[in-house]
Amino acid sequence: MNRVRILLATAGIAVLTGLWFAFTSPVDRLQGEFSRILNLHAPFMWVAFLAFGVTAFASIMWLIRRTSRWDRLAVSSVELGVVFTATGLFTGMVWGQAVWGRAWDWADPRMASTAVMFFVYIGYLALRRAIPDPEMRAKRSALLGAIAVIQVPLVYFSVNLFRSLHQTQSIRPDGATMPDEMLTALLVNFVAITFLYFALLVGRLHLARLEEASAAETARDPDAVTPPRLSEVKDV
Amino acid sequence: MSDLAIVIGTFAISYAVVVGYAGYLHLRHRRAKG
Repeated sequence: MNRVRILLATAGIAVLTGLWFAFTSPVDRLQGEFSRILNLHAPFMWVAFLAFGVTAFASIMWLIRRTSRWDRLAVSSVELGVVFTATGLFTGMVWGQAVWGRAWDWADPRMASTAVMFFVYIGYLALRRAIPDPEMRAKRSALLGAIAVIQVPLVYFSVNLFRSLHQTQSIRPDGATMPDEMLTALLVNFVAITFLYFALLVGRLHLARLEEASAAETARDPDAVTPPRLSEVKDV
Repeated sequence: MSDLAIVIGTFAISYAVVVGYAGYLHLRHRRAKG
């Protein structure tokens, strides 16, 4: 647990550094102060993509190895991905309302595909809660986790494939479409929020191990009071 | 409300969600330890 605390404290310092860069960098001439929100919106969405990528990798590894550590990694990363997608959507809506004059537009492929991705991963968490058997739960969620990642490149490249309110990528192989000071602030926030994701992931994995051990202990304890199965209840 | 106040509020709410999630994990951790 101490390792988790040290990681979270370091992530906190990284986030504070990111905030300092976000609020001291120059602003866009047309967007004004609202351009600072992009220092949060883009890294949150990047971390959500990373989290769902980690889930897909862990899901495939579970399907190959069938060991519970991969299942724990998959669910831990989905939870974080959902949190970061929610905050990414929120920051994007505030920015959109200020700059485009509308917070949401279902006709925009990036927004619509992100919303679908968000609900699919909420469905992943709901699916896990609906299956009491750990083996079956791990199997079904691994299949969903491995398939659902297809949405990540769809969301990312939706601005290139379809007509979109969203601009195309600002950081490209041939250079960035913004001044160096703004790019530095954005990259610092990318690093800080990615580090925050890894720190929270280590904490979530620690919790998952603890909960699994606790569940196994309860299953072994003959005196533990467990509710009867519905099929065992004959007369109510 | 000034533009900067809206931006600061957006940052505050976003990080409050992340910190809230970390707090939720902490409570679950305490419960799991018993």
